[in-house]
Amino acid sequence: MRRVLSAVAFVLLAACWTAAGQMRRSGEPLSLDTAVDDVTNDRIQRLKQWLNAVDRHEPGAHDDAVIDVGKWSNGELRGLWIDSYVLAQLMRNLRLSRFLLHSDDKRRTVDIRYTAWQIGRMRVFACAAAGTLARPDCAQLYIAAKNTDDDLVRLSEHAAAERSKSGDDNYLVRRGALLHADVAMLEPHGVVESFANRSLGAPTIGPQTWRIDISDGRELDVGLSALHWDLARLALDQVRPGASAKPAPERDAMVRAWYRATAAWMQYREDHDTLHLDRARTIFPDDPDILFLSGCQRESYAAPSIQAVTQTLTLPAGLTAGIGSDRAELRLAEGFFKRALAKQPDMGEAHLRFGRVLGLEGRHADAAAEIRQAMTLVTDTPLRYYGELFLGAEEEALGRLDEARDAFDRAAALFPSAQSPLIALSELAKRRGDRAGALAAIQRVFTLPPAGWEGRDDPWWSYHTAQARDAEALVDAVRAPFQREKP
Amino acid sequence: MSARIAGLCVAVACCSASLSQQPAFSTKVEAVRVDVLVLENGRPVTGLTPADFDIADNGVPQQVDFVSFEQIPLNVVLALDMSDSVAGERLEQLRDAGGAVLEGLAKNDQAALVTFSNVVSLGAPLTADVAAARHALADAHGFGETSLVDGVYAAMMVGESDVGRALLIVFSDGLDTASWLHSDAVLESAKRSDVVAYSAAIGTVGATQFLRDLSAFTGGTLYKIETTKDLRATFLQILDEFRHRYLVSYTPQGVSKDGWHRLDVRVRNHKAAIKARPGYLAGRAP
Repeated sequence: MRRVLSAVAFVLLAACWTAAGQMRRSGEPLSLDTAVDDVTNDRIQRLKQWLNAVDRHEPGAHDDAVIDVGKWSNGELRGLWIDSYVLAQLMRNLRLSRFLLHSDDKRRTVDIRYTAWQIGRMRVFACAAAGTLARPDCAQLYIAAKNTDDDLVRLSEHAAAERSKSGDDNYLVRRGALLHADVAMLEPHGVVESFANRSLGAPTIGPQTWRIDISDGRELDVGLSALHWDLARLALDQVRPGASAKPAPERDAMVRAWYRATAAWMQYREDHDTLHLDRARTIFPDDPDILFLSGCQRESYAAPSIQAVTQTLTLPAGLTAGIGSDRAELRLAEGFFKRALAKQPDMGEAHLRFGRVLGLEGRHADAAAEIRQAMTLVTDTPLRYYGELFLGAEEEALGRLDEARDAFDRAAALFPSAQSPLIALSELAKRRGDRAGALAAIQRVFTLPPAGWEGRDDPWWSYHTAQARDAEALVDAVRAPFQREKP
Repeated sequence: MSARIAGLCVAVACCSASLSQQPAFSTKVEAVRVDVLVLENGRPVTGLTPADFDIADNGVPQQVDFVSFEQIPLNVVLALDMSDSVAGERLEQLRDAGGAVLEGLAKNDQAALVTFSNVVSLGAPLTADVAAARHALADAHGFGETSLVDGVYAAMMVGESDVGRALLIVFSDGLDTASWLHSDAVLESAKRSDVVAYSAAIGTVGATQFLRDLSAFTGGTLYKIETTKDLRATFLQILDEFRHRYLVSYTPQGVSKDGWHRLDVRVRNHKAAIKARPGYLAGRAP
């Protein structure tokens, strides 16, 4: 099968960055480990274009804003990642004048240096993005910059209107996140910078996310991924509830819904990004839905289609796939499902997948018990089908062959056009020495309708995406409050 | 366990029961049969009789009842990967290779075609009407994911549906992504079957491990190939090798009825290389 399973997330360990804005103290020296990033005027122009794109983008629409931003190179996006962060600092404090970025290990610091003209422009942008261009201090900056930009005026009006409506100052960061998520979802990129020679260049400032495109258990391509998800996450890190003096995305319902929806969308597309759920759990460590999706992601990582690649992939020093052995991934999945169930004990689907994982770990009695519990909670027909299939497998592993046969029979009754329960019944009969029964069951497989419209359909084939079956609806629900043109 | 067959004389005389005819099987007869390739200096040794074979079942010497060479018609089951990746030139070369096997069959031989993507399909049941299998092969095309393990199991069952001498030829170009059955379960089934599985596979070690094990347990061979350019020659080599195997039969004596039976096959007075399955599973699974 040549479907591309994309973006097993890679982390360039030396280049995970955090940022901090500071007031410059007169004469303060830079540390010996501090590098300097002299910002070009092109970057300021890019930031201006970005503000315009964020303001005019209709969430969910494949509009000009999505197309334009989708064309930007990773180098341009990396500059934007830095400058949009600085802009967010300035929106809170216009007097900031020094901006430092620290690598996650704190061993490297970069001083982001703007010229006086650039910082003047940035402050005007900050006023517009905060919806305060009419405020006296901002108006003074606007006039001093000799700026007569209708786009900035319109942005300020929109941001101010949003503040009046919602009571918080997050117009730019929320819409910025929605724009970059839409670019990632509506303008999907493959590898944007190929990684043909398998060597790393000098570390760059800002995030680097690598992706592997795989198919049929083979690596197709490895390279840098477009930074749109990184930019979206960075934007939402700046969300500040109305009553809060500093960013607190963990208290924001939209951020929670956005992570849940986008993580589900990634899983539905089998476009896995480990960092995305890592960040989601950092912000929402006890959210049962995010823990559940984390468990599903690790369950997928344990599958042969991914393991076959990660076990044979040779990566240069500094890169890690972040995917362990199948056993290690199953243990992680088990942990996430347990945590999800501790927070929400009636989450039937989590019981179901937890049971499957226990079975894969060889803990068949525990698995059967967990699946039975799931069956008391789930009503959805495909979930009940999975439950009967998994229960049959566990009963068979426990040597309870009659119970296994009954479970497979119930699965076959739930989805009469599915082949998996019939193949399971055939193998079970053969194992019992019932060759006639084995042949009869396999004969039923051969008489099923062919694949296609109203043809053979087996939910087992979509098990690794079934947990995200409502992804589109979740994404739509996140976008809806921000849409100006209601569908 | 197909090592216990319903009377070898029936197998020799009549090999026409197809899957759709729902053949009945008996567990009364105790005969065990083993396909054996005997090579000396790389060439098949011919003219051997029961007296030339020594077979030990779990270390216990057995009396060989019957040896056949090129006398029993073949039941050839083609199990071909028809997932998305099998398209264009690869599909044409696969059809060509399958067609070559069908052309190479003798008058009383039978053929069947099983294809697998995520869907496991019986393109043609076991039949001496090779045209039916040829038409099914021409109609087959690639789509969807890969249920290699399920497909191999189904093809093995087709091979077992008839008391004839079954050769399974598997082709796959990718990793299993959609099977329900676990590979271990199908390998267990293979140990209970006297179908001999040969495979031609493109892929990584992970992708081909199952086929390597399948061939090892059934006495066949895995051909790891880089492209399908020479697939026709590979398939014909498989057919030719299988034709030059002896079918050796014995009735187990002095061994337990159930469990794993290790087989040790030797040929007297020859410094021959022997290829045969390493053993078989008998009785009901625990």
